[in-house]
Amino acid sequence: MILRLIERTGVFLVSLVVSSVLVFAFMAVLPGDPARVALGVNASDEAVAELRRQFGLDRSLPTQYFDWLGGLLRGDLGTSYVSKAAIGPQVFDRLQVTLWLVVAGMIIALVVAAPAGTVMAARHRKISGLALSAFSQVGVAVPAFLAGILLIVVFAVRLGWLPANGWTPPAQDPAMFLKQLILPALSLGLVQGAVLTRYVRSAVLEVLREDYLRTARAKGLRPFQALWRHGLRNAAVPVVTVLGLQLATLLIGAVVVERVFVIPGLGSLLLDGVSNRDLLLVQDVVMVLVIAVLLVNFVVDLLYVALDPRLRTAS
Amino acid sequence: MKPSFSTRAVAFLASAALLAVTACSAGSGTSSGSSPGADQKLSIGLVAEPASLDFTTTDGAAIPQALLGNVYETLVKQDDSGKIVPSLAKSWTVSPDRKTYTFDLVDNAKFTNDKQFTANDAVFSINRVKTAWTTSLKAAMDVVSQAKALSPTQLQVTLTKPSNDWLFRMTTRIGAMFSESGVSALATAPVGSGPFKFSKWNRGDSIVMVRNDNYWGSKPFFQQITLKYFKDATALNNALLTGTINVVGTVQAPEALSQFTSNDKYQVIEGTTNGEVLLSFNNSLPLFKDVRTRQGIRMAIDHKALLDTCWAGRGKLIGSMVPPTDPWYEDLTGVAPYDLAKAKSLLQASGAAGKTLRLRLPTLPYATSCGQVVKSQLEQAGLKVAIDQLEFPAAWLTTVFKNADYDMSIIAHVEPRDLGAVFNPKYYTRYDDPTLQGYLAAADSGDEAAQVDNLKKAARRLSEQAAGDWLFLLPNLMVADKSVKGLPTNAITENFDLSKLAR
Amino acid sequence: MKRLNPSLIAGGVIVAVIVLMALVSFVWTPYDATLVSPASRLLEPSWSHWFGTDKFGRDILSQIMVGSRTTLFVGVVAVGVAAVIGVPLGILAAMVRRWPSEVIMRANDLLLAFPALLLAIMFGAVFGASTLTAMIAIGIASVPSFARVIRSGALQVMRTEYVLAARAAGRQPFPIALRHVLPNVTSLITVQASVSFAIAVLAEAALSFLGYGTPPPTPSWGRMLQESQEFLFSAPRLAIFPGIAIAIAVLGFNLLGDGLRDRFDPKLEDRR
Repeated sequence: MILRLIERTGVFLVSLVVSSVLVFAFMAVLPGDPARVALGVNASDEAVAELRRQFGLDRSLPTQYFDWLGGLLRGDLGTSYVSKAAIGPQVFDRLQVTLWLVVAGMIIALVVAAPAGTVMAARHRKISGLALSAFSQVGVAVPAFLAGILLIVVFAVRLGWLPANGWTPPAQDPAMFLKQLILPALSLGLVQGAVLTRYVRSAVLEVLREDYLRTARAKGLRPFQALWRHGLRNAAVPVVTVLGLQLATLLIGAVVVERVFVIPGLGSLLLDGVSNRDLLLVQDVVMVLVIAVLLVNFVVDLLYVALDPRLRTAS
Repeated sequence: MKPSFSTRAVAFLASAALLAVTACSAGSGTSSGSSPGADQKLSIGLVAEPASLDFTTTDGAAIPQALLGNVYETLVKQDDSGKIVPSLAKSWTVSPDRKTYTFDLVDNAKFTNDKQFTANDAVFSINRVKTAWTTSLKAAMDVVSQAKALSPTQLQVTLTKPSNDWLFRMTTRIGAMFSESGVSALATAPVGSGPFKFSKWNRGDSIVMVRNDNYWGSKPFFQQITLKYFKDATALNNALLTGTINVVGTVQAPEALSQFTSNDKYQVIEGTTNGEVLLSFNNSLPLFKDVRTRQGIRMAIDHKALLDTCWAGRGKLIGSMVPPTDPWYEDLTGVAPYDLAKAKSLLQASGAAGKTLRLRLPTLPYATSCGQVVKSQLEQAGLKVAIDQLEFPAAWLTTVFKNADYDMSIIAHVEPRDLGAVFNPKYYTRYDDPTLQGYLAAADSGDEAAQVDNLKKAARRLSEQAAGDWLFLLPNLMVADKSVKGLPTNAITENFDLSKLAR
Repeated sequence: MKRLNPSLIAGGVIVAVIVLMALVSFVWTPYDATLVSPASRLLEPSWSHWFGTDKFGRDILSQIMVGSRTTLFVGVVAVGVAAVIGVPLGILAAMVRRWPSEVIMRANDLLLAFPALLLAIMFGAVFGASTLTAMIAIGIASVPSFARVIRSGALQVMRTEYVLAARAAGRQPFPIALRHVLPNVTSLITVQASVSFAIAVLAEAALSFLGYGTPPPTPSWGRMLQESQEFLFSAPRLAIFPGIAIAIAVLGFNLLGDGLRDRFDPKLEDRR
């Protein structure tokens, strides 16, 4: 197990380094000089040269890379070529916003998927199970932003129960924060919940067929009791994996919902960076997203080891 | 090219950003205006957040919209009717040769860094345009040969030649007065003498301004005004409907207006702007050098139907590059009326019929929308049109604006009095017309009557020569809670004047 | 397996209808889908315009029909890119020794850290937004899932007797891959293609909504949805029809994928 942990950690660290090289290289081969791009079409050559010098763009690429990497390690993401503001605090603020949204969405997804998937598995030949299956199929097929638009029309504009959009930090006004969080979290959560339901269902189905569960039922436990006592831990393994993958996709996938609900999250920052051609900002945000995804995968790997007794000994 | 008409930068509205201010009672809507503080706050929804707060180095309409007149003040400003009136300068005189301006300045204005505003600051600000500004708008200051302080309250500016345009430009961003010790962090911490103080910028979301309680003039009503930025026109409307903001500063989805006009909680304001939506031609191409091609295209477009289809009929039809709020406005819509048969024969005669023209559109709502109508109408007249969308601002600016790699495009030119700047051989329209330049030069150097007369001639010349086609003038469309007062009917300046708003 | 496979039938029918609709749209649509006619703008659904018209007076049904081409095109290119890269990679990873295989799969995992939307936005920043860049980005982002699935399938094939026999007979790896492995993983490819297709359709809709997808005037369901935004109150049908079209297409490809999986591997019938 220790060996496995070391191996996983090694893979994680190597992935981090490789992806940082990839992201840097991708931005470096971009056509166009970032300084000229930042200053716009009317900039004079002197102004461009000055900006290049100011931001160290006149140095060799390896120097720039290590400088950037060193900054990342110190938590210093550099200064935007366009807005001349420090990038780190912005990314940190936006990441928090997106994390709130994504975590709330995932909780909703889990709350929807765990019972629904279990029922679907336990009654997979009955009408209720089939109906839920069909329902989840439809849920998977609805784009999250369409769900968001529909939620706004119904709950914000027609019924007036909740704000249509906006974002308030929880420290500033907790009540408003919750009100504004509900609809975007729902539109992310319901769609993701539909996806997750299908995995919960197959995980539970698998567990239901296992010998220990049959034994438990033979001892007189009712199906849901048996599942509760013995099966959930085992069913959780594949579900956690999927959950991790979803979390990773959602960090960027949330951008569409952020757009619909005017939420200043990390995805919106990335889109702004792209449209302002704020290349260092784009590079930083992409890197932060990639780090987040790798980190989530790493944690899922560790959980995997912790959750599944069989995996603890196997390699 | 004379300086005052030299290529001025980006004169379009980023997202057709008409000046708009939204006030919002701290998130809970007007109905809950009972708490004492809420009435003193306003939140205004706008589109196109600025990328920086420094308009000396960053182009675009969003920064002056927020800061000019509110945080920064100018020596002179435009009133609602477009007249140039005093601001930091109480009065001014012009020498008989029209080359020397002497300004008497107010003596009680203070910057928010506690420094007194004096003639030295004015000299500093004017000279700084030439030395430190990097946007191409700075060229409007090239005509100044010298600025000097005669006394702390008296400023003298000498021009190299008479220029009516210079004084007018002093009402725009290049006339902004900075404090000598307040320019170290223009991009993030602007310092000015205006009725509002910059307070906070929540990037990606909003800019917050608070009342400057030491303001030398009459103090504004609202204690705090938040400019909240939206990327999506529908989200902006929704924010008003659910009380997150109090004013939609610029309606970008005119089709959605009906939900407000039919609701007596809201007021809808409809006026004019300086934003001429131009179907521009690349006049350097042989095909467009033939006046029959240009006239044929103009006559192939049914402007009324176009406006109804792509901008919900909101806006004004204009036949040239002059909005109705300028003193030299004339209705020129009759110069090239819709006439499909005549358009076809003109296009046949010039050899354009059957050719494929590239219509390269910026990704802006009105351009995307109207471009499709233009394509359809021109194809009925025998042209082929290939639409090609370029991301705005970056891709469009490089391809169309800088490299002039296009046949036709659509963009709203929102800068005030931009006729000469836009139809210029150095500008992306590549329009070279000595007759036009003659009128413009005469207008700039003459007295007021000569200016009006020559600009009328210039506008008519443009229309007759079909240097472009003016699809329509963007409307100033705002929606606000009924209680908000002081919203401008016409948005004809670069700035959104927040100090006049009240409840 | 005699049992009826409802997923396969439903999915197959839906996909067939969409393909048929796209094919028909080449020769016939009720109206010219891009023809602007101000006189007939914003018409309610009626016998002459079954789904009504949009603000340009264009027939919605015709646009949905022509839009299905965009949807299919996006899916085909994205899945094509993913398969052309992912399938050889998966087979290679199954056939080479442990170390190189490990490296391939780790690289593959790394690519998972760049989801479709992120790649598409990055590509948009570099090459400008267009349908093609979006499709290629979506395709590249789908490579890892292809490679992974194909590798596990190919590993099984490699252990079968005929492959072992072929190797014993001294066959070169490449002919083995072509003659034995590839034919035996086609079922997996089909299933994965179907699932990736659904993902591509969703991604294109999201990108068009953000303005990084199909530019006008080419009809696209995602852009129709985006254009309908300002009519959510006055004419919600403008959002409903393309929204339903997207949902049905995704549903169809997902069902098809599920059905195919059951069909090819009856043991798995109940596990998805």
